[in-house]
Formats: sequence, C-alpha cells, structure tokens
Amino acid sequence: MATKKAASGSLKLSPVLDLTEASALHGTLMSMRGRNVTIDASEVERVGVQCVQVLIAGARAWQADKKSYVVDKSSDAFAKTMQLIGIDTDLLVAKEISK
Amino acid sequence: MDMNEIKEIFFQECEEQLAELESGLLKLNDGDRDPETVNAVFRAVHSIKGGAGAFGLEDLVAFAHVFETTLDCVRSNRLEPSQDVLKVMLKSADVLADLTNAARDGGFVDESRSRALVKELEALANGETPAPSVDAPKVVAKAPEPVQAAPPTDDSGFQPVPFSFDSFGDEEAEGEGEQVFDITFRPRRELFSKGNEAALLLRDLSRIGEMSINCDIDGLPALDAMDPEDSYFGWSISLKTKKAEEDVRSVFEFAEWDCELTVKAAEAAAPAADLPMVPVPFDLSALDEVSGPAASADVSAAQTESDASKMAAAAARVEKKETAAAAAAAAQTATTAAAAAGQTIRVDLDRVDRLINLVGELVINQAMLSQSVIENDNNGTSSINMGLEELQQLTREIQDSVMAIRAQPVKPVFQRMSRIVREVADMVGKSIRLVTEGENTEVDKTVIDKIAEPLTHMIRNAVDHGIETPEKREAAGKDPEGTIKLTAKHRSGRILIELVDDGAGINRERVKQKAIDNELIAPDANLSDEEIDNLIFAPGFSTADTISDISGRGVGMDVVKRSIQALGGRISISSRPGHGSTFTMSLPLTLAVLDGMVVTVAGQTLVVPLTAIVETLQPEATAIHSFGANQRLISIRDSFCPLVDVGRILNFRSVQANPVEGVALLVESEGGGQRALMVDAIQGQRQVVIKSLEANYTHVPGIAAATILGDGRVALILDVDAVVSASRGQSLKPEMSLAATG
Repeated sequence: MATKKAASGSLKLSPVLDLTEASALHGTLMSMRGRNVTIDASEVERVGVQCVQVLIAGARAWQADKKSYVVDKSSDAFAKTMQLIGIDTDLLVAKEISK
Repeated sequence: MDMNEIKEIFFQECEEQLAELESGLLKLNDGDRDPETVNAVFRAVHSIKGGAGAFGLEDLVAFAHVFETTLDCVRSNRLEPSQDVLKVMLKSADVLADLTNAARDGGFVDESRSRALVKELEALANGETPAPSVDAPKVVAKAPEPVQAAPPTDDSGFQPVPFSFDSFGDEEAEGEGEQVFDITFRPRRELFSKGNEAALLLRDLSRIGEMSINCDIDGLPALDAMDPEDSYFGWSISLKTKKAEEDVRSVFEFAEWDCELTVKAAEAAAPAADLPMVPVPFDLSALDEVSGPAASADVSAAQTESDASKMAAAAARVEKKETAAAAAAAAQTATTAAAAAGQTIRVDLDRVDRLINLVGELVINQAMLSQSVIENDNNGTSSINMGLEELQQLTREIQDSVMAIRAQPVKPVFQRMSRIVREVADMVGKSIRLVTEGENTEVDKTVIDKIAEPLTHMIRNAVDHGIETPEKREAAGKDPEGTIKLTAKHRSGRILIELVDDGAGINRERVKQKAIDNELIAPDANLSDEEIDNLIFAPGFSTADTISDISGRGVGMDVVKRSIQALGGRISISSRPGHGSTFTMSLPLTLAVLDGMVVTVAGQTLVVPLTAIVETLQPEATAIHSFGANQRLISIRDSFCPLVDVGRILNFRSVQANPVEGVALLVESEGGGQRALMVDAIQGQRQVVIKSLEANYTHVPGIAAATILGDGRVALILDVDAVVSASRGQSLKPEMSLAATG
C-alpha cells in the first residue's frame, strides 16, 4: 500500500496518487477517523482528481468530527495540480474544535 | 498479447466502425436528421483516427482527420448534409475503407482519388457548396497560426494535410485575435476508468492559452458515502487563446464521450459566468513529470499537444493493460451507444468450425448408436431407447445452437453492394439508388462469405445493363434516378435474396437471337418467356454489345449461377419489359447440415435435399407415357412431367427401371419446370451432416456432397439441379453430361 500511516495520526501520501490509489487512500482515511491527522504531501509527484476528491471529502468529514486535518507539507507538483484544477488548499484543512 | 495482435484487433474494430460509418451516412442520405446518427458517424471516423494514430498509420490519420473535421461541421450544424455533401462523404468512407485495408494488407490506394476527396472535404468544411469540379481554389492556405511560437504545438506529425481555418476567418481578421472560450467540463466515471485523467486534460487545456478555472465540488458526497473511483467534480473554465474552437475541443478528443463538455466562444461584453475564477499559472512544468511511470515510453509525446499526447497515452495504456488500442478508442463509441448492443465476445472462426465439426460427428455418432439400439431392441420400449430419443433431441438442439453461433446478418455484404452501386453508377454516368431491406437476416458465415462475389456481379450487371441511362428513363416517363432493391428474408428454412431493378427488363428478342447465334438453342426452338429469360444463365452468354470495364467480360451470369449452385442454392429471373427484372436467389441457411430424404437407387443409398422436393408419388402404369427412344412422361393431375430415372442418369444401371416398381419424387428446378425423379424406394427423412466430396474425394457429376449415415455407410447427396439439367437434353446444351461422364 502506498499510503503510510503513522501512529501519531500523520499520513504520508504516496508519490503517485492515481485512480488506483483513490480507494486505498479512502480506506486509510476511513480508518483514521476520530483522530487529528497531519497529511504530508511532500513526496507527491502526481495527483489525480479522484484522490483530490477523497482528500476534500476527508477534510469535510474531519470538520464534521471537529478534529484537525492539515496538509502541512506539499510538493510543487501537488500545489500546482491544486491550482490547475481550481482547488483552494483551504478546502483541505479542517480545524480542531475543542469540546 | 503482442503488438501485432493488438493491431489486428484494431483492424477488426475498424471494420465495424466502417460499417457503422456507412450505415450512418446512408441513413443521413435517406433524410435521417437524428443528431445521434451524425454523432455515430463522427464517432466512427474519430475512433479510426484515434486507433490509427496510436499505430502511427499516418495516411489513415491524415485522411480521417480531414473527414472528421468536415463531419464536425455537420455535427455542429455549420454544414447541411445535403445529397451532394453526402455523396462526397460516402466516397470518403470508401477511401477511408481503402486506406484501412491498405494499412492492414499493404496494397494500393488511389492517391489522386484521396487527394481530390481531401480537397472536396476541405471545401465543404470551408462552407463551399460541392461543385462538380473538384478543384477548390482557396483551400490550401494554411492558417498562419502565430501561436506556434509558444508551447510546442502541432508538430506532432498527425496533421500533414494542410488544413484551412477559413471558416474562422473572421476571428483571424480581428488580427492575431485572441478570443475567450467558456468551457464547462464534467467528467463521468468512465473517463477515469478508461485511463484518462481530468487533471491532465486541464493541464493540456491550460497550455493553449490563458486559463481561469472554477471547480464545482458541490456534488461531492460525505467521505463514508462516496465511491472513491466515481467522479464528482465539474469545472467552468474561461480560456483566452488564439486557437480555434476545434483545437480547444481536440484537447478533450479522447474523453469527449465520457464527459459533459461545452465549448462556447464568450461574448465580448458578457463575462462567462459569475463564478469566482482562479487564474491558472502558466508555468506548470512541475507537472510535466506527472505522466511519469505510466507512460514513461511516451513522455516526449506527452509534451506535444492534444492529439499526439492522447494517442501516445492510448498506446501506453495498451501496452500496460494488454487491451487493444483500438478497443480504447472504440470503447468510447461502445459505452455510449453500446449498452444496448449487448455483450459480445470475439471468437476465432476456426474454433467455431471445430466445434461445428465435432457436433456433426456427435450427430452421426448418435444416429449410429440409435440404429444399433433399435436393431438390438425388439420391442422398442426399453429405457435405453427412450433415453436415446432425449439424446437425439438434445443433439439437435446443440446443433441448432452451434449453427446460431455462425449465423451472421447479411448487412456487411449488402453494405459493400452500396459502394459498388455508387462506383459503377458513377463510371457509367447513371444515377442509381440502392435500397436494402432485411439486412439483419441471418445466415451462416460461409454462405455470407461466398455470396458476396455472385452478388457483386449481379449488381454490376444490374447497374450496367439493367438500369437505363437517365435520358432513356426520362424518355420512357420514369424517374431519371434508377432504383435497385436488395432484400433478404427467411423462407421455409432458406434465405431468399432478391435483387430487383426498375430498368428496362430483358430484351427477349435480343437474348433469343444471341442464343441462336451462339448455338445455344435451335433457331426454331419454341421457348416460353421464362425459358428465354433463363437463357442469360447459359454458359458464355453475354448480350453486351461492347465489352465494358464493368461487366460483359465473357464471364456472365453462368458463373453467378454456378457459384450459387455450389452453395446449394438456386437462382431464377423474372422480367417485365420496360419495368425491370427480378433475380431471386434461394440459399440454404447453413452449409453444414441438410434435411434430406434418404432414398434407394439401384442398391445405393442417396440423399435428396428436402427443399427440392415438391411431392412424392407412386406412379401407376396408366400414368406413364413413353415416347421417342427412351423418353417417358408421367401425368400428374392433368399435366405431363418428364420422368427421369436417377439410377440411369447417374449410370448406376444400364437399363431404365420400371417406374411402377419405384417412387417418383416431384422436384422443382430453378430453371422453371418440374421433373419427376424416379427412385427405387424411400427410406425416410433425416437431417444429415454434409461432408464435402471435393475436399475428401473428388467432384462427382450429379452429386452435391456426401454424408455418413447411422450405420456408418457413406451416402451421396444428390445435386437435383444438375440431374435435371442433364436430363433436359435438347432445348439447352446440357451444362454437364452426366450420362457421358458419370
């Protein structure tokens, strides 16, 4: 599996986030629900729209869970792709709201 | 799967696309204006171009590109598909087929013809009405695309044909004019599942101009409700570019069927939409490695634009997934139109044939088993016997199902005929319309393969000799455009193909004179109209005064007749002077099995095809009349019918049998008229598996084929028409003298 999950609730995205990765990424995120998560996109070389869909849906889910969801490092390719497809990186962020 | 196999699949797909193309164009020609028809036509050419690009078949790509551009004008209502336009398109479809064949088999394509058509197509795309003269003066001026300096574009080699954007002259007149396009793009799930990536399409789009984009993510469901492989985003894009709309669209060309796409030139005053547009940075170099591992072999191609990168990507996918490049291209067609078409698999014909052979053996084996059980089972009620009956039923069903696998609609053959009509009519300066009916009638593939040639010959004849020139037709008060109607239908276990023309009909005087000149008939022969008409099937008969390129080369209708007969078929003609002729061919649905009557003749077992038999009767002595040396007639219900002793004519015996001791089979021959065939006894009716005598032994006059009976013996299948012809004797020169050779 290309996405790596660390105990601390951080998620390192694999270099190639194509169609075949979307399901794996989705599964990983689902398994991390309820925890704060930090996403590392620094090694991403290629990202497809379907993985972006999963990442945004993730941010919304975390928002609903009132947990934090942050992309703290991103590669040039990741950032440019977001710009290219018109996705504001704010959409990839959920803030923890303490109860 | 190696590349050659993939290529072979591509060519198979091409055949289907070409058939689709032609049938669509013919529908348009008949006045069909359904946008889906236009789309289907466009898709067909587009798919061929796509696949051809992946294999680097540049001639094919170049021609398909021009053709597609013109079709796009029709699709976008910029060009009315008039009869004249469609004439050019149908010719282009022919050339496209030629180019495809040449790409597959090598061979010759008439370059001047394709060049002329390219000009005609370009002229049409430029809004010129088709003129009889082919020269289109202002076509070749290549658009001065100043954009080329920026990103590396259009150097992909896929557009070697100079193409004019004259129709967009206005934009260019605005001077190096940039214009803004409002684009909406919403990919469907299939776009991704076929290996396209929306982000890459957007990247390509951003490279041809200045782009602002808004992504609509409202459709995105909650994380736990979403399908990660589905598509939820849509985009509104504003693109400022010097390129034409077609270039913009061509970015999406391989994904067009898997997304909702609109491309509109924005009106200068009104900005596109009230959406917050985010400008996309021009420097996207970081994404260039993006194609990375998946298409490493084709990375350089990915740097060129649209066409090239998409085609290369398609090829890369092929290598990766071992699916056909053509399939990728054609799949686009497939999914939109094809859900309805049902699922199919391709099977090698040899495998089907092997299965058919085996089932044939099974039938024979089952018959043998039945026979030996019957022989050993005196009361006929044992459970074995009953089980065998079920087995027989099952065997029959298996056989029918296997035959159904080989059954194919006659459509492809009929479509080929429409091309022949077009070409021959053009050559002889006639205006002829081919109407086809019952194209979906199914018949065994072998029959289809073998019928094309005789049918082609007949069609050429009908165009060349049957239909009159427009002047003559007008003088006779007819529509100057002639009609040839080709129909297929099933009738009592056979397929009936009719070719009807509304031409002048057969000139009986001339036919008879020619037959007398050629010593085919005696000068004083008294022939019925039907018999005269059928003289045209006599060997070496040709009434054409001049030997033309089209027909009348000495190989005449006798060859046609022989080919049809070789298929176990019959052909006949009826003609009305001034109103045209009708050729009727009756062919067996399959060449593998036959329902026959098993008879005994001079101790030999023969099978007579059931379709030939009108009735069977037991002759009475009073009904038999002798005349001449050894001619006999039998009177059947107030009419006389020649009696033919099968045993004598096949040389099974040297003297004629006594008719009263045998059975007469009344058969109808395609030359008109009936004959009573004398056999010694009837054993019963049976379905038999046909085994070729030619392939296993050698041709035997009067015998069509052989079969293996239940007791393991070989029985010969009688060629009824050959026997009847041989018995006909004086009025015609016999096609084959059985008595002499047999």
